[in-house]
Amino acid sequence: METAINIPLREKKVVSDGVIGMIFVLATEAMFFSGLISAFVINRAGAMVWPPADQPRLPIEVTAVNTLVLLASAVTLFLFGRQVKNNRKSNTLLITTIILGLTFLTVQGTEWVKLIGYGLTAHSSLFGAFFYTLIGVHGLHVIAGLLVLFYLAASLTKTISLEALRNKVAACSMYWYFVVAVWPVLYILVYLQ
Amino acid sequence: MEMSTHQQSFWNKYIFSTDHKVIGMQYSIMGIIMAGVGGFLAYIFRYNLAYPGQSIPLFGHLAPLQYNAFVTCHGMIMVFWVGMPILLSGLGNLLIPIMIGTDDMAFPTVNMLSFWIFFVSALVLLTSFFVPGGAFGGGWTMYPPFSAGGYLNRNPDFFKALFSGTSLMILAVALEFVAMLMGGINFVVTTINKRAKGMTAFRMPIVVWFLNIASLIFMFSVGPLVAGAFMLLLDNVVGTGFYDPNRGGDPILWEHLFWFFGHPEVYVLLLPALGVLAEILPVFARKPLFAYKPIIYLALVSAVLSVLVWAHHQFVSGIDPRMATFFSIGTILISIPFAGIFLSFMATLWGGSIRMTVPMMWAIGFIALFLIGGLTGLFLGSNTFDIYAHDTYFVVTHFHYTLFPDVFFGFFAAVYFWFPKFTGKTLNAALGKLHFWCTFFFFNGTWFLLFFNGLHGQHRRINDYSSFSLINMEPYMTFEKISTICAILLILSQFIFLYNLFTSLAKTKNPELTKNPWHSATLEWTADSPPPHGNFKVYPEVYRGPYEYSVPGEVDDCYAQNVPGPSFENNENL
Repeated sequence: METAINIPLREKKVVSDGVIGMIFVLATEAMFFSGLISAFVINRAGAMVWPPADQPRLPIEVTAVNTLVLLASAVTLFLFGRQVKNNRKSNTLLITTIILGLTFLTVQGTEWVKLIGYGLTAHSSLFGAFFYTLIGVHGLHVIAGLLVLFYLAASLTKTISLEALRNKVAACSMYWYFVVAVWPVLYILVYLQ
Repeated sequence: MEMSTHQQSFWNKYIFSTDHKVIGMQYSIMGIIMAGVGGFLAYIFRYNLAYPGQSIPLFGHLAPLQYNAFVTCHGMIMVFWVGMPILLSGLGNLLIPIMIGTDDMAFPTVNMLSFWIFFVSALVLLTSFFVPGGAFGGGWTMYPPFSAGGYLNRNPDFFKALFSGTSLMILAVALEFVAMLMGGINFVVTTINKRAKGMTAFRMPIVVWFLNIASLIFMFSVGPLVAGAFMLLLDNVVGTGFYDPNRGGDPILWEHLFWFFGHPEVYVLLLPALGVLAEILPVFARKPLFAYKPIIYLALVSAVLSVLVWAHHQFVSGIDPRMATFFSIGTILISIPFAGIFLSFMATLWGGSIRMTVPMMWAIGFIALFLIGGLTGLFLGSNTFDIYAHDTYFVVTHFHYTLFPDVFFGFFAAVYFWFPKFTGKTLNAALGKLHFWCTFFFFNGTWFLLFFNGLHGQHRRINDYSSFSLINMEPYMTFEKISTICAILLILSQFIFLYNLFTSLAKTKNPELTKNPWHSATLEWTADSPPPHGNFKVYPEVYRGPYEYSVPGEVDDCYAQNVPGPSFENNENL
């Protein structure tokens, strides 16, 4: 094995690799959601009656509460990030965030089961198709976000440098903030039409 | 025990490697293999066009539906499985880290995954030829209703629909995009965070700039297409009806989402190849690149304009004429930045001491051919002309005159230029020149005459005009036959390259001869040939711009970027 250490001379890093990478991931994601949302808005604008008369109404109140649950998860994650910045490696707030995220998913799931029971399916109408696509795609992003948070929780138990941990927390939190930030837009557009 | 460690090292070195150079070569080799598939498909339907109804050598009889599937897959393969891997991923992986003076990408494991996802996507696409019903045949643009189950199926059989040619093609494209995104993010992060000391933004070679701008265009435009493709997949496998007008859907929506990506995509392919020219022309003109900074700004302008012109593909789709005017103007505007870039290439050649080496011939051939493609693009950008020429061979010929020089001439220029550096071996120059002249001549033979067929109204999607008794195709069949013969010869000429490639690879390495054979100034030429894992023995520090040629009194006639001292050309102020 080579023993000589030859470290590349570098221009100074201002922001960590993970954070820059995440910025571009999220920019792409934002364009993906804009594509879906603009398709939805254009279609709704062209429809005579929206939502169609024979289709069930969406659960506005329950989802409003659920929205608050998701927003709360962003607050707990923010507080967790502050703790890490102040060198405290407690994972209580991170686990709270994960539990809030799981709660959001569970409530969404039960509402979906009810709606399917009422007769709203992906091929019952374009209204249903857009509802399940937009909300389902967001749901998939929540699942991905939870996996990211689990990964973060796992790396808390490992011995890594504080700086590496902070960068990890910054990049992973950005993803969760994005997932949370998209939701109110979807709630207003899809539920409160 | 020794045997097994050796085995391990082979797998880690050549198959599941995280080395950017190996991944770049894997991408390029995969691109060449897929170009073989795409070229074979082209041969089959080209033959059918000249001799309709006849049995095709090496294939047999071509059914009309097969013709459609082959044309569709030829387009898909050439854009997404040849152009993208060899120009963006191949060149990006090979060049970016070593040209900015670093050891590897920012996320090497992600980079390796990127290639293997790409590999799987190619397999998925090839599988679609063998499923019941065959590969998708509704054109590479995948317009509904052909691509949305024909609107017939409100309650499709999920698994049957998932393993149809249409769904497999959508899935393959989606996987390919994931791979390219992983690569693109790697490029941008690497360029931002891993540059050598002294490698400021305006000391980076143009090709690094252009690869990054291309990645950014790709990342910005791909989202809406993925959204559209997701909806198209749901239409096929769940029966949602997003694109079905009977249920309130809108087929034009797909066209917008597709072309919002599809048009920027041509600049994603063009910019890396132009970057290659920007590296090659100064070396063989022995002159600094003319207008370094303006070229970068022009590329950025073209990147912004590229996402504002997409509806020029939809002039006959029933869009508002006022909108068509807007998109016509935007389309013609975008020729300004590219004209600027080409002007600066011309000015780089002007008064230089030109060396007609093999890479230089490919580079100049690229400029000559692309000029024809670009100028006919101006015709088509105007909606008044486009309505007449839409879907004729004029359009097909136009985009082959842009994409063929771009993908193949750009790629070959890069191969002949960087082959010595990355393999430590040399290609045969005489064979390289023969390859160039054959390719140049037969490419023009294949395509130039078809401009006239297109102007006479030959439609791009009709495989056999004999079914149309009122249309007399006889006067145009001569051009079809010339085109087909030249296309076959064009494909055969590529075997000269393959022969050259394999015989050169069989030679022994010559690190001295291949270290800097062209007397070039960028950082990759200061590394060993071939560069080891980690690229540099001593990591470079950068003192100057990438194009300091014609330095009086210097042995190499140029300053490499890592030579200390004041800048000769003072590139920074250009």
